[in-house]
Amino acid sequence: MIEAEPRGMIKILRLDRPEKRNALTPRMLASLRSHIDTSASARAIVLSGAGDIFCAGFDLSLCRDDGNAMSALLEGLSGVILSLRSAPCPVVISAHGGAIAGGCALLGAGDIIHTTSAAKLGYPVVRLGISPAVSAPTLELLVGAGAARSLLLDSGLITGERAVQLGLAHQAHPTPASCEAAAIECAQMLAEKPPHALAHTRRLSQHLDGVTEASLSRALHASLNLVGGEEERLRLEAIWNKP
Amino acid sequence: MNDLAQLQHLGGPVATLTLNRPEARNALSQDLIAALRSAVARVRETPEVHVLVLSGEGKSFCAGMDLKAVLDDPDAPGRLLHALAELTLELRSLPAITVARVNGAAIGGGCGLACVCDISITHADAKLGYPEVDLGVCPAVVAPWLVQRIGPGRARRVLLTGGLMTGAQAHALGMVDHLSQDMASMGPLCDSVVERLAAGGPRALRATKALLNDLETPGVSREVLARAAELSASIVRTPEARESLRAKLGR
Repeated sequence: MIEAEPRGMIKILRLDRPEKRNALTPRMLASLRSHIDTSASARAIVLSGAGDIFCAGFDLSLCRDDGNAMSALLEGLSGVILSLRSAPCPVVISAHGGAIAGGCALLGAGDIIHTTSAAKLGYPVVRLGISPAVSAPTLELLVGAGAARSLLLDSGLITGERAVQLGLAHQAHPTPASCEAAAIECAQMLAEKPPHALAHTRRLSQHLDGVTEASLSRALHASLNLVGGEEERLRLEAIWNKP
Repeated sequence: MNDLAQLQHLGGPVATLTLNRPEARNALSQDLIAALRSAVARVRETPEVHVLVLSGEGKSFCAGMDLKAVLDDPDAPGRLLHALAELTLELRSLPAITVARVNGAAIGGGCGLACVCDISITHADAKLGYPEVDLGVCPAVVAPWLVQRIGPGRARRVLLTGGLMTGAQAHALGMVDHLSQDMASMGPLCDSVVERLAAGGPRALRATKALLNDLETPGVSREVLARAAELSASIVRTPEARESLRAKLGR
């Protein structure tokens, strides 16, 4: 469910479940993490999604049959965020079409984010009794603490254009194809640069941003604390039982 | 005294707190701040309220600190600024999600109240900003909240430049989250945001807000704000500020 395509000096990783709008499963997250961790030879990574939508978030249908699925999804997501941050090379993301909830949470761990002008981005999960806290520390890096508050508490989605204005994405493109092409071109441009200087600069900027394993772990636990509670159960059941 | 701050809660998850001093453009007097604090305390004791909307009666949201009233008493500015500092801390730590419905001018301390809320909404023609430096005073109490909201780089530019900006500019800057094209369409926009918030899982909302507050300490604390209030008050007491305020406020 993760397609890995080496192309010259860069590696393209695609969430590859377009029929489910690339909804994330614990297995996909584990596989994505291992692909990132074994990309030591790549000079830049592109994270993209097959089809017109980058990622619609967690595959919540899994949580119906498996009481542990939500925890596994949250832990898997937090693990991917850690891996993306500690990747040996820069990470460019093509967040075309939509980056929703867990999909939007991936953006904060990337270095450069491309999107489409009409893309829908955001965290519509508190209405499901789920806290998007897990992605708060890295989201704040992109948009600041002010806009992060609104994005995480309010279930409304923003457009790709507004995402660029807020800093959640760096450039908006007209179509999913042109977005991924721009992300690949951007990664190729980064791959041409002296890798040591790039790696040290990347590490320095992460040191300066103040996000630590401890803050990511605090955020993960704020989300995990609600898992299995009555509020979450009743609200998820309401979606599953919708005719 | 409570008429200065009208708390409306008709049951359900949403309450509205309105600054009700329209004849003074809702300027923050000692009494208004006290009334707001007492209303916020009542909301804190009403766990069924998950969303608190803060708004201003009349054309303005809040014209800022009522410094005119305290200019002749050397201790009064300090008392007023300390009370404002406490109000901002109490709003921030409120478990309910706070929404600033910036219906008109939000100036200085008034803009600070909008920035301390979790989510803010305004219209394109509203006037917002921090003109304190133009008046010879220092926006110390509200500065930490602006830094939290838009980051230190942009906050520096806004606070040092002074003056006012339009709602549209404030939205582009990220100081405001939602923008309507005019005053008439702001009500429905605000209603839709509040409706979405009220539909959120109360535990999920509270847990998320608590984590966000946790991540921002020690950026803003009672100690930081108390020092800020002292600083601000000491500058109000300088001859430069007093002259400037008297001239600008027409006294």
